[in-house]
Amino acid sequence: MEEGQRRCFHCGVQGTPESRFCVEYAGVAQACCCAGCQAAAQLVLAQGLGRYYEFRSGEGKAPDASERDWAAFDREASVRRWTHLAADGSRSVSLQLEGIHCAACSWLIDNSLRQLSGVLAISVNAAGARAELRYDPNRIALGQILRRIGELGYLARPLSFTAADDEGGRERRMALLRLAVAGFGMMQVMTFAVSLYAGALQGMDQNLAQLMRLVSLIVATPVVLFAAQPFFLGAVHSLRARTLGMDVPVALSIGAAYLWSAWATLVAGGPVYFDSAVMFTFLLLLGRYIEMSLRHRCGLQQHALARLLPDSVLRLRGAQSERVTPDELLVGDRLRVLPGERIAADGVVEQGRGEVDESLITGESVPQVRGVGGQLTAGTLNLSAPLEYRVERVGPDSTLATVSRLLQKAQADRPRFADQADRVAAWFVGAMLLLALCVGVYWLGVEPARAFPIMLAVLVVTCPCALSLATPAALAAATTRLARTGLLITRGRALERLAVADRVVFDKTGTLTRGQVRIEDVHLLDSSWSRERALAISAALERYSKHPIAQAFAQIAGPTVVTNIETDTGRGVGGTIDGVPYRIGRWEYALELSGGSVEPPSEGAQMLIALANPHGVLATFSLADGLREDAAAATSSLHHLGLTAIIASGDRAGVVTSVAQRLGDIESYCALDARAKVCLVSNLQGLGHTVLMVGDGVNDAPVLAAADVSIAIGGGTDLAKVSADLVLMGEHLAPIAEGIDVARRTRRIIRQNLLWAVIYNTTAVPLAAAGLLQPWMAAIGMSMSSLLVVLNAMRLLRGSKPRLSEEQSGAAAEPERLGGATA
Amino acid sequence: MNILYLLIPLSLVLVVLATWAYFWAVRSRQFDDLDSQGLQILLDDDRAPEPPRE
Repeated sequence: MEEGQRRCFHCGVQGTPESRFCVEYAGVAQACCCAGCQAAAQLVLAQGLGRYYEFRSGEGKAPDASERDWAAFDREASVRRWTHLAADGSRSVSLQLEGIHCAACSWLIDNSLRQLSGVLAISVNAAGARAELRYDPNRIALGQILRRIGELGYLARPLSFTAADDEGGRERRMALLRLAVAGFGMMQVMTFAVSLYAGALQGMDQNLAQLMRLVSLIVATPVVLFAAQPFFLGAVHSLRARTLGMDVPVALSIGAAYLWSAWATLVAGGPVYFDSAVMFTFLLLLGRYIEMSLRHRCGLQQHALARLLPDSVLRLRGAQSERVTPDELLVGDRLRVLPGERIAADGVVEQGRGEVDESLITGESVPQVRGVGGQLTAGTLNLSAPLEYRVERVGPDSTLATVSRLLQKAQADRPRFADQADRVAAWFVGAMLLLALCVGVYWLGVEPARAFPIMLAVLVVTCPCALSLATPAALAAATTRLARTGLLITRGRALERLAVADRVVFDKTGTLTRGQVRIEDVHLLDSSWSRERALAISAALERYSKHPIAQAFAQIAGPTVVTNIETDTGRGVGGTIDGVPYRIGRWEYALELSGGSVEPPSEGAQMLIALANPHGVLATFSLADGLREDAAAATSSLHHLGLTAIIASGDRAGVVTSVAQRLGDIESYCALDARAKVCLVSNLQGLGHTVLMVGDGVNDAPVLAAADVSIAIGGGTDLAKVSADLVLMGEHLAPIAEGIDVARRTRRIIRQNLLWAVIYNTTAVPLAAAGLLQPWMAAIGMSMSSLLVVLNAMRLLRGSKPRLSEEQSGAAAEPERLGGATA
Repeated sequence: MNILYLLIPLSLVLVVLATWAYFWAVRSRQFDDLDSQGLQILLDDDRAPEPPRE
């Protein structure tokens, strides 16, 4: 591993980029890690878009090696389904893009597609990971466009028009409009309000004062009717549910201030309170807007689920078959799925028998055997044999849609401290409404002219805004801060439990280690063979295997012609090269070819696979999974935070203890299956510990669910991602410790905010009730209190370090790259 | 101070104009993606684009 510190030019994977996969950029030969990355980089450079590599803020994605079937999108039915025909004969389509992480990505896709003849217009939105595209169907097919995006290393999927009608975007735009109306209105009304207060002291022309009041009324009307609408609707909803929500006093204050002032302006005369109403509306909308942005960011992750469905599926109609997209399927369709393909819809097997990997849906790591009559679930992977099945459920009834709904529910789940604040606030609101009424009645008896302004002041000053903002503001800041370091929160409740975690359980494979197997050693058993030849033959065979071990050989070139390929799931691959049959895989499997029975060498700390031909075993390869480079640093920083790290692995003792020793002799458990891991976690919980589980998310979904709080490493699969509370986006472990630190600071800041809100209200209320505060003072006091709370929360954003990956790769490489471009 | 009788209604007109412009901007999705456009000016090449190689 020591010599392999170079990174792939395109995807940035650390390892040994091969000189064979070179592209020329800025006059220098840049090495890539595999043929896929090389092709993507060549495509980018050939189109003159090499600047992408200077401006991107993260690494590219290695293109999916498996050839996707884009042609299914070219059929008349799917074109009609996904695209919209304009009057001039062009078609437009909305695409959901995956793998976009910065503005440079959107630029790359935009410019690359513009060069395709037939693409008329394209706009790529990096924030929403969407593209809107218009093309000429006579000059280019939809499939070609999708293929080009795939070649660049992204994944594009057409969105049906109902889905493209994006809910989130509309909500966001509406919020911006309301915010603007309230903001503009506030500026205007405040100007007049200050003039009127000054005028009242210095003496002002009564006609002018009346004009200002009238204009204030005109400006305040849209603010109250349009911008403050959500508060009125919320108050109505909350009263219908027979509770006193936060919106009730807000709606009451705004409504009362507005109506009283309107009455005073038009009929009765006297002081007006438009300023209080409008300022109140604006500041509250601002708080809501921050909270909404946070919610939308979490929602984006949901689209990852759609990726589990295949792009196309073989539908059987009598003796004929056709490729269709999964969305066109109807209940009762007969489909055929080949080994290595994903199942497109929930259904029942009608013909064939084979193994299905359901780990993504059920968390069950052992492949399930499915024969005639067996249930298949959409999104699971067919491993061994062709299956024919009949579709039983599609659309909203399907398992995937159900999972997606559950996910939505989880995301709507608010942290417990937010619920607490709401519950407290409901009581608080009731008490304060009562208090305002009592104060009003009292002053009506003492000094009737001052009764309304004093009551309004009490109502405004006691609005539990600081109380209601205290938590969401801190959570929004914490989420943003964590996202910047590469940790995404999928569940609101995660932060509070992260703050109190005192045990971290690592699942070894793919978390502390890279999750990528590499060849550590080659041992030749036949002296007439060279190391290179053994590797080349092995690589040629492994190209046909879908097992993770095959990755280790992906960078090695081999003969391309392999015939009579046979794959034996979980055991190995066989095939004929230059007339000689070969097998690679487990010792026993490879040996079956020669028929001998030689004892396998002991495996030690590493995995061992063998290459054999009919004469016997030719070579053995030792494979190992390398430790992540910052694993030791991460465990020691967790230790500094007072957390104890534990390894719980399904691997053999030799492997696990060697990893534990290299990390400073941390506690480790080996050979655990999923159930034993759950036991371990619940034992720790029984001892009073709060457990944070870190997993790759493929086989450990049940353990992730059992732990108090869980983190999935981004390299894991999509569904596993969503079953964890947090997702680590990069390849580094450092954000875990940082996340715990941020969670603890968040908790501290929320407590400070709540304390402040309580102190403010208990001091301001007596002053208002005594008639010492004007409504505008109350509005400013309330706003300042809210602002203080928000600013306190913003402290969480400070002191953010750049992401580790940028520190390491970017800092050194960037100056010379930029210099090369400007020279 | 009579000028105020002109200026105040005028300010109202300006606010309406500004709000209208803002509504137009939001509705035509100018605020949907605030990062990409800023970078495009750096990335885009002023030279004539090379002919596409198919």
